[in-house]
Amino acid sequence: MSRIIVITSGKGGVGKTSVTANLGMALARLGRKVALVDADFGLRNLDLILGLENRVVYTAIEVIAGECRLEQALVKDKRQAGLVLLPAAQNRNKDAVTPTQMKDLISNLAKNYDYVLVDSPAGIETGFRNAIAAATEALIITTPEVAAVRDADRVVGLLEAHEIKTIRLIINRLRPEMIRQNEMLSMEDILDLLVIPLIGIIPDDERIIVSSNRGEPLVLDSKPSLPGMAFENIAKRLEGKEEVPFLDLMAHNDNLINRIRRLFKG
Amino acid sequence: MSLKEKHSESSSNNKGDQPTVATGAEAGVSRAGNQVNEYSQVSLKSEGEKVLLILPTSGKTEQQTDWSVLWQDLKYRLQGSEHAWQAGTAVHLLAKDRLLDGRQLQTIAETLKEVKLQLKWVCTSRRQTAVAAATAGYSVQQEKMLPAINLEVEQSQQQQLAEPLYLQTTVRSGSEVRHPGTIIIQGDCNPGGIIIAAGDILVWGSLRGIAHAGAMGNREAKIMALRMEPTQLRIADLIARAPESPPSQLMPEVAYITPEGIRIAQTINFAKNNSFLKKFGPW
Repeated sequence: MSRIIVITSGKGGVGKTSVTANLGMALARLGRKVALVDADFGLRNLDLILGLENRVVYTAIEVIAGECRLEQALVKDKRQAGLVLLPAAQNRNKDAVTPTQMKDLISNLAKNYDYVLVDSPAGIETGFRNAIAAATEALIITTPEVAAVRDADRVVGLLEAHEIKTIRLIINRLRPEMIRQNEMLSMEDILDLLVIPLIGIIPDDERIIVSSNRGEPLVLDSKPSLPGMAFENIAKRLEGKEEVPFLDLMAHNDNLINRIRRLFKG
Repeated sequence: MSLKEKHSESSSNNKGDQPTVATGAEAGVSRAGNQVNEYSQVSLKSEGEKVLLILPTSGKTEQQTDWSVLWQDLKYRLQGSEHAWQAGTAVHLLAKDRLLDGRQLQTIAETLKEVKLQLKWVCTSRRQTAVAAATAGYSVQQEKMLPAINLEVEQSQQQQLAEPLYLQTTVRSGSEVRHPGTIIIQGDCNPGGIIIAAGDILVWGSLRGIAHAGAMGNREAKIMALRMEPTQLRIADLIARAPESPPSQLMPEVAYITPEGIRIAQTINFAKNNSFLKKFGPW
């Protein structure tokens, strides 16, 4: 039974596309067959971040219009076997497809893959409704900011109304240093408000920006990185290994002086 | 320092910090008062062995958008009160003057089936709805005198409140719960969520959004929450913001109207304060 997971946030710029790319890659590295669907018609980015832009020939629009077969539109990733991308059209807007068409398309795609990850556009309009049409599970991305958490809350409400019951949370761009100084919403604050299970925390890291610009997802990097490990852990938890422990981000860049300082702060 | 002292101190803090905005009747608030009546949402009522599903009367709004809102409402209500009845209970649908086609009736039946309720009986004043329901195999009752009855119902609603609405849910940003009676929420009301009741509002959880009690003008209505951190409190035609600096300790609290506007007191102290207030009567 394949799983169709929509990755959404409400607010823009919180890292939906980066998470989709890295998570897809991490799942494929675990030996799964993964299809990534870019549902952001008119503003597609997923192909860029995966570094597959120059290999896109057909898009989802052509498949829906019957101008090509579904297999023709899928872009296979050469670096990682088992990962394919269904790109969105860039020359159309979100109204070019309907939720029913999107649902049919993704259900067809799901037959041959273990995971279908749908990268949702920001907002809660047509594009969002298209993205969630076929999904049975959802991953909510939020950052430790009031606006992002508020939008995430709204989106959780909408997903529940669409009978998507399995909703899990990813907190992106966490900065342990700022939380330690009480300048950022903490994990507890966010979970207290949203009341949905947490599946991963990704620390803020410049390398994510660098890897996005290069079109090489961080998980592919040979050097282990904290965000890369976080993505791999999320993939494992999605696979059902709930016992994978959360990274202790607070311990990172902790040193003796900081510890002594905290001891005195009490 | 004894615990008792601490309590009285923080409650007096609350009172002092609580600013009241707009003591006059605000246009927005009085409109919200009508909302409870005019656009009242789907309601569910247990009556003996059956559950009554009452649809709001259809306004002049466009049918299509109306239906999707109605359906969302229905699903929300059902999810919130899933454990209120036994599996297989029969549902009587009171559709009033709402036009429903066969597909919409089927959708309602399927939605009810998900929470193990069975649509059995449809009561409507529209011929087309009656035909669609009969075709789908439900027992149908067509009422002709409905407009007159409706008026009566609405008039009586203004005097007496509907049964309390009990919901087990989180009122998330963007959702709105309206009820012409008292509302009890087992869960939180998040920022951006709105609860509007003609009676009292009781939140067994955190109240972080907007709560409007006594929306039809009852100044004796109260708002109660385990953790009172609201965006705004409204009672009848008054509005208040929460204090800028939240109290360090959050205790169960009650908001009510005093001669100085909306005030908050700790629940454990409220009984004493309230008996004192009774002398003045509500403001």
